[in-house]
Amino acid sequence: MKEQERADTENDQAMMLAPDEELMLEVRDGTGETLGVLFDRYHRPLYNFYSKLTGDRTLSEDLVQEVFLRILKYRQSYQPGTPFRAWIYQIARNARVDHYRKTPKHITFEPEMAPAVMPKDEAQKSQEAELLHRALMQMPEEKREILILSRFQELKYDEIARLLGCELGTVKTRIHRAIQELRQNFRHLESGRINKDRNSGVTKFVPPRRAGNEV
Amino acid sequence: MKCEQIGELLPDYLQGSLNAEQEKLVEEHIEVCADCGEEVAIWKKLSLLPVEQPSEGSRERFEAMLRAYQTGRSDRVSARFEKAKAAPGWNIWQWLRTPAGVVAWSAAILVIGIFAGNYFGNRPGRSNADQSEITAMHSELTNMRQLVVLSMLQQQSASERLQGVSYSRREDQLDPQVLSALVHTLRYDGSVDVRLAALDALSRHAAQPQVRKGVVDALQEQQSPLVQVALIDQLLEWRDPDAAVRLRNFAQTPNLNPTVKQRADWALSKLN
Repeated sequence: MKEQERADTENDQAMMLAPDEELMLEVRDGTGETLGVLFDRYHRPLYNFYSKLTGDRTLSEDLVQEVFLRILKYRQSYQPGTPFRAWIYQIARNARVDHYRKTPKHITFEPEMAPAVMPKDEAQKSQEAELLHRALMQMPEEKREILILSRFQELKYDEIARLLGCELGTVKTRIHRAIQELRQNFRHLESGRINKDRNSGVTKFVPPRRAGNEV
Repeated sequence: MKCEQIGELLPDYLQGSLNAEQEKLVEEHIEVCADCGEEVAIWKKLSLLPVEQPSEGSRERFEAMLRAYQTGRSDRVSARFEKAKAAPGWNIWQWLRTPAGVVAWSAAILVIGIFAGNYFGNRPGRSNADQSEITAMHSELTNMRQLVVLSMLQQQSASERLQGVSYSRREDQLDPQVLSALVHTLRYDGSVDVRLAALDALSRHAAQPQVRKGVVDALQEQQSPLVQVALIDQLLEWRDPDAAVRLRNFAQTPNLNPTVKQRADWALSKLN
């Protein structure tokens, strides 16, 4: 029910825009023309979901296209009242699982997937971002996925629980464990980098700083 | 309070769904506990990761998929998608059913026939007749190839039509029917690639008046700058007597792409 309330307030805020669910019903019963609006709303978040998860840009684009193709194919199965966001992420996860079933993955981290170059005054942030990205990519994929879903895709825990088919409590526990692992990976990478900097005698932009002190 | 208990509250804290009292508990704890503090910090720090932008072609690709689906070709699209992904070995039976397959096995049967005929009918005094038989069969083979070109030009998928156009290049002489099909493709095909290939194929048959006329006529109807430029170049190369007049008219077309106009003017200066 909370879900419904939240959806309602979101819709109120965006009075001018038809809610996803309404558009999806039009897609289901019409020619599919309104799918373009849903594409505009969702293709960027989905692309980010995939690229953070897989670290592969080309694959991510292919998978986004596959999601929308599947929506067209299976549009008759969309039931009124189903939250569209949950539905599309379900399709997105399935599309990825099917992809890996066909072509087993071998990439865990590609250097070229490191975050884009930023302006110089952002150098420190960009270094941290890179470490963070690596720390994230070092995690097992299920843990990474749950973090991405909650942190970047901004799914609520109950939405994630439904998506993954587990209890709400389990989701929270998994999130917490994932954060712990991410922190450890990050700390490890950071200390590695600092040592390297010291050894090479270079005073880089970044003074060694504990992550915790910033909050 | 112990870290363990705080850990249970932490996920809700991060999504801001704790009540005020619980929130205060967590905040007091992370002030003093570096480990739990770092967990909150790393969560917040994740905002450093940039939002990635999909490539520009993404929307176009979607539009193309949607159009394909709407014209009832979804299966093709998904089949191609899957094929590109999985790249399975191609199925020989499926291939035999395609126009290219049909011509291949028909040709194979014909060649076997020719050799069998030569072998068994190899009696002295008959060689002239044999020769003419072989010629007849050869022309039959040519006709069949041209038939395949015709049927491939009718295909729904652009890649098959493209294949049809390139097939036509294997023949030195083309039937008027095939030539007019190629001209039709040049004028009306939906794909720029196919139109360009058709022009290229036609350029070798300049001796045929209908081909020249078709290419000259095509200029007025083209919307794609790429094809327009290719047509202008072709007309210049042929130095067709009609070309100058047509090009002059064409260069006057309102809203003409500046590059195309420049090209047309340039061609005109060469022609005069």
